Amino acid sequence: MKEEGKERLRSRSLAHLMPLIAPVHILILSVIVIPSIYVIWLSVTQSSFGKAPSFVGLENYIRVLTDPAFHRALWNTVGIVVVAVHLELAIGLLLALLFASGLPLRRYLLVAVLAPYAVSEVTAVVMWRFLFDPDAGPITQMLQSLHLPILDWSYEPTHAMILIAMLTIWLHLPFTFIILYAARLAIPLDLYEAARIDGATPLQAFRRVTLPLLGPAIVVALLFRYIFAFRIFSEVWLLTNGGPARTTEVVAVYLYQEAFSYNAFGTAAATAWIMVVVSLLLAVGYILLLGKQVNANAH
Amino acid sequence: MRIKRLIIGSGKAVAVAALLLWSLLPIAFIVMSSFKPGREIFAVPPHYIFTPTLDHFTTLWTRWGVFFDGLVNSTIITAGATALAVIASTAAGYAYSRNSSRFLDSSVLFLIVVRLIPPIVVTLPLFPIVNALQVNDTHVVLMVLYATFFVSLGTVLMRTFIDQIPRELDEAAQIDGAGRWTILRRVIVPLAAPGILAVAVFVVVFSWNEFLFAFIFTATKAKTAPLVISEMIGSIDGVDWGVLFAASTLQLAPVLLFVIFMNRYLVAGMTAGATKG
Repeated sequence: MKEEGKERLRSRSLAHLMPLIAPVHILILSVIVIPSIYVIWLSVTQSSFGKAPSFVGLENYIRVLTDPAFHRALWNTVGIVVVAVHLELAIGLLLALLFASGLPLRRYLLVAVLAPYAVSEVTAVVMWRFLFDPDAGPITQMLQSLHLPILDWSYEPTHAMILIAMLTIWLHLPFTFIILYAARLAIPLDLYEAARIDGATPLQAFRRVTLPLLGPAIVVALLFRYIFAFRIFSEVWLLTNGGPARTTEVVAVYLYQEAFSYNAFGTAAATAWIMVVVSLLLAVGYILLLGKQVNANAH
Repeated sequence: MRIKRLIIGSGKAVAVAALLLWSLLPIAFIVMSSFKPGREIFAVPPHYIFTPTLDHFTTLWTRWGVFFDGLVNSTIITAGATALAVIASTAAGYAYSRNSSRFLDSSVLFLIVVRLIPPIVVTLPLFPIVNALQVNDTHVVLMVLYATFFVSLGTVLMRTFIDQIPRELDEAAQIDGAGRWTILRRVIVPLAAPGILAVAVFVVVFSWNEFLFAFIFTATKAKTAPLVISEMIGSIDGVDWGVLFAASTLQLAPVLLFVIFMNRYLVAGMTAGATKG
């Protein structure tokens, strides 16, 4: 019946549907797609405000890829993506299992886990800056009174990156947790029942039932978070401004500095396209997986 | 057996306590400190019992009046962006749900891919264009930008939700002589309300909190609340923390309450958004 309906509608002209889908596509084309394509042109030209651009080929890309500041920014970004996203996934997974094991007041605890989702990057930076203020922050004070090392994030680039990673995990854990928890709840109870009857220990049940069935959700959460962590800007900009001496820059901050501080739109555009390509490569993985899931659902 | 249960129970209790500390402590600290008398903010150990004061809020009002303009701007921009994104996504989601063709299917894929392009990329060409059109520092620019970065997710979500509404209802309305727009308004919108709310939660939270676009495209007139707070952080050596906490509390409270209130729709949206595209 459903297929028949679709068949009938398929013959209708596309023009008929245009008024419905046009607003979305006009917005996306004019704000995202055409500007992004224009960035390709910017990336192969040399220009700054008010000057006519001239074609320079791949020069901007070479300049970016050989710039030590870009290398630093890239490594910082990769560091955040690798460390923060995987830690976040591990914590999210543990939380999902904790919730699935049965907790009193689960509804309220779920809301507590979601709370950071509502917090803006700006306010989150205010919070964590205060807690870890090198002189007077409550957590710094606590660490000092326990004779533990403190985070001297305004001078030590590594410490700053640790604080940024924590901030990122804090802001995005709700998303990762929800994806994994929803997938965990979708696993049929009979499977655990069967595993128990077969004499499986809880650990074996986790390895043989939970983990394989959570696989797709884990990969989806990971890819999403790779893509979104790769574009990190506000947390870094608001916490350190990329300093001291450009040591804590990430790729998006590097891009911003090139464009809006140094007026080098060509290299900024080249950086932008490097970001797009990396994001799209990760996206290909996601879409292939999505296709596989759709097929699996259809069977 | 009883001992084992006791161990598991206390292990869980510790985990839940750690979770609550991690999630809520930073929020609680900010909100609490905004009501603390100035000298007590950095007291060691922190004072949990104190005489609350509104001093920081009155100082904020007198010294940073621009912050309240920021709240007004944020409200206008959030409302506009949400309306635009919800209307556009619902219409497109309806079309995608009820029709199928090779062109439509590949354009859904296109929507998914577009969502993964980093927003900072488009600031490069849009910055000079926005200036040339003389729409920089206006509410409309941010409304359009915020809505656009959510219409792709919004459309896919709405398609998923509208798929669950039986087609027979559309057909019955059609037989009664209703046109497409009437069906959309009278049949689809009321039944797809949970989906509309899920899309709205995403756009509201994003628009209210967004920093990058506000930072690049506004200067004075359309400055949003997060941007004003970032300027207060910038002058941190001179600013007293209490005022910064008061501003952060005012920026945070409405959206936090909104998320708490709407948590069901947020969860539904996140789940459908990640697995359906």
